[in-house]
Formats: sequence, structure tokens, C-alpha cells
Amino acid sequence: MKYKYLNGKLAIYLEEELDVSSCKTLRGIIDGYIMKFQPYELVLDLTDVKFMDSSGIGLILGRYNLIKLLDSKMKVINASPSIQRVLELSQIQLECVQYGR
Amino acid sequence: MEDNYMKIEILSKDINVLPVRIAITSFLSQENVHIDEVMDIKTALSEAVTNAVEHAYNDEKGKIDVEIHLDNNDNICIKVQDFGKGIEDVSLALIPTYTSKPESEHAGVGFNIMESLVDELVVDSKLNNGTIITMIKKINKKKN
Repeated sequence: MKYKYLNGKLAIYLEEELDVSSCKTLRGIIDGYIMKFQPYELVLDLTDVKFMDSSGIGLILGRYNLIKLLDSKMKVINASPSIQRVLELSQIQLECVQYGR
Repeated sequence: MEDNYMKIEILSKDINVLPVRIAITSFLSQENVHIDEVMDIKTALSEAVTNAVEHAYNDEKGKIDVEIHLDNNDNICIKVQDFGKGIEDVSLALIPTYTSKPESEHAGVGFNIMESLVDELVVDSKLNNGTIITMIKKINKKKN
């Protein structure tokens, strides 16, 4: 996982597979960066994510709730078609997700 | 497809969900199943195994059996069985966004994703005996 912080915007570049195991680790790391930088906008970039199940949806939802507490914005970008499918099947309305790659 | 099957037994640790996914991907690829179908089955299986890992044994560890059967009518049957505490109310567990562990940040949509990705989902659970999740899917797309 890589991150970039610039002018109040924090971008997190997620990688590989977002499942129950990786999400437990990532949760603490991402929240650490959010608390450190207190960004006005968080971007989760899924370009290099090859697999995601509902654990990934939990990860996105959890960060979204934290970002809302900070009164900041969040965007989820570059989900592959198979990840977009999982997001749609979950039937959770995630206004932060930008569809289309 | 000819009849074939694979059985895997794992300890209920979250790091073991990935090896199960790798195994089923490899198993289905050699059977000429199209990548889109492999992705659907892999995701549904990941949800079922994650469910068992997260909920079956509380803080202890126990075994989870995973079986994948293919028949000559191109049906795939996946069975994920644990021997843990069982699901108290299956109909409640099937409700979208319901989670018995909100503090763990579960989205509560695992069963909904499984239902959407396979043709048939059966959840058979007995308190203090365990849970069997059975999923059946017809393979429609093959590799060229």
C-alpha cells in the first residue's frame, strides 16, 4: 500500500486482494494516516486491487464513517469491473464510489 | 465437464481464506471455466469461508471443510462446513446489512453477495453443531 498527501488531500493506493485478513491490517494503517493528516479529502484508489469481497466493503464503509466524523470528503476510484460488480451486489449505496474506470 | 472434486480442510484463521481462493481458481482454470465464472465462484466461496472464520468458533479456532464438486452437466457445487456454534437465526443473518459483530466493521452483506453470485444457496445451521453453506451454480461460460 502506498499513500500520497498533498495540499490537504490524502490518496491511498490499495493493492492485491482486499479480504478479511488484509482488511484487518489495512484498517489500522489507513486510520493512522487519516488521524495524522486530517485530510479534507480521502481518495481510495483501487487501480491495483485484483480481488475484493464484502470485507473490502466493510473497509470502505468504516473509513467513510470516520471521514464523515471529520467533516471531510471521500472518493473511491478506479475499481475494476469485477470489483464494481461486488459493490453493486452488496446493494449498499455508497455515494463516495465513482463508477467507471 | 467430467465429474471431479476437491476437498480442503483449514483451521479457522483469516490468513487461510486466501489459499482457499487460490486453490479453487487453479482447480476451475484447469476445467476450462471462463474467468468471469471463476471470479463469481471465487468471491462467493471467499464470503462463505470468511463467514465461518469470523463467526463459527468465537475466539477459539476450529476446522473448516471446503468441498468443490463438478458434475458432467456443468454444475458446480460448493460446500463450506464448520463445526462451531451455529447461527442462532438464519433468516436474520440473511437480511442485508445485518451483522452480529458491528464492532468488527462487517458490512453484513456476505450472504447477499453469495445469493447473487450462485443459482442456489442453502444455509443449514444447528446451534452448537455448526453450519453448512451449500452453493450450486451452473457453468455457462467456458474458455475458448
